[in-house]
Amino acid sequence: MRNKIKVYRAMHDLTQEDLAQAIGVTRQTILAIEKGKYVPSLDLAFRISRHFRVNVEEIFLYDEATRDPPSG
Amino acid sequence: MKKNTFYLLVGCIALTLLGIFWYSVETHRPLLIEISFVFAILITYLVRRTVTDLIDDERTIKITEEAMVRTFQVFWVVFAAISIGAVMEILYIPEFPREPRSGRPPVILPPKLMGYIQLGLLCLMIFLYVGFRIYYARKYGEWETDEE
Repeated sequence: MRNKIKVYRAMHDLTQEDLAQAIGVTRQTILAIEKGKYVPSLDLAFRISRHFRVNVEEIFLYDEATRDPPSG
Repeated sequence: MKKNTFYLLVGCIALTLLGIFWYSVETHRPLLIEISFVFAILITYLVRRTVTDLIDDERTIKITEEAMVRTFQVFWVVFAAISIGAVMEILYIPEFPREPRSGRPPVILPPKLMGYIQLGLLCLMIFLYVGFRIYYARKYGEWETDEE
């Protein structure tokens, strides 16, 4: 899963800390999502996209090549 | 309550528990430390709910959950294997002796050895949890650095 959070943050002139506080997560979580280390839940993905007033698929792009293997 | 105050309180509770543990050992009253431990955990949980500046977001919860699941997956195998040995003690039926046996019946696992085994299990559980927690924290970008 790729995302454009960093781009949208730059467009809205927001720091990671600002965005994190606005959606109720830690700065480390925003950083992990931006770097592709953590794939957010649907709920968090929607909260992020709603914050930027765009559709979720404009920020999060499903990438078949980087698909996580099923856990278990 | 602020986060730092909470950590300070947890430290105080841990020190108190250590004192109670020492007293229990000296006076040989295991029930005292057992009850104190349960109360300490309950107090910690209740106080934690009042902390205002501690954010538990979904990534932090995921790290904790994954570490707990993996710890349990490894630990239960070791725990079950050792517990089977202890169960042998209950199921042990001595063979019919040809002549009356004198003294106490044979003990498969002496209580002191069981104590050491339990201590080992406790340490194993802590090490497993800390190890898995570090592993998953790294995996989900806990110590990532950024240009910001």
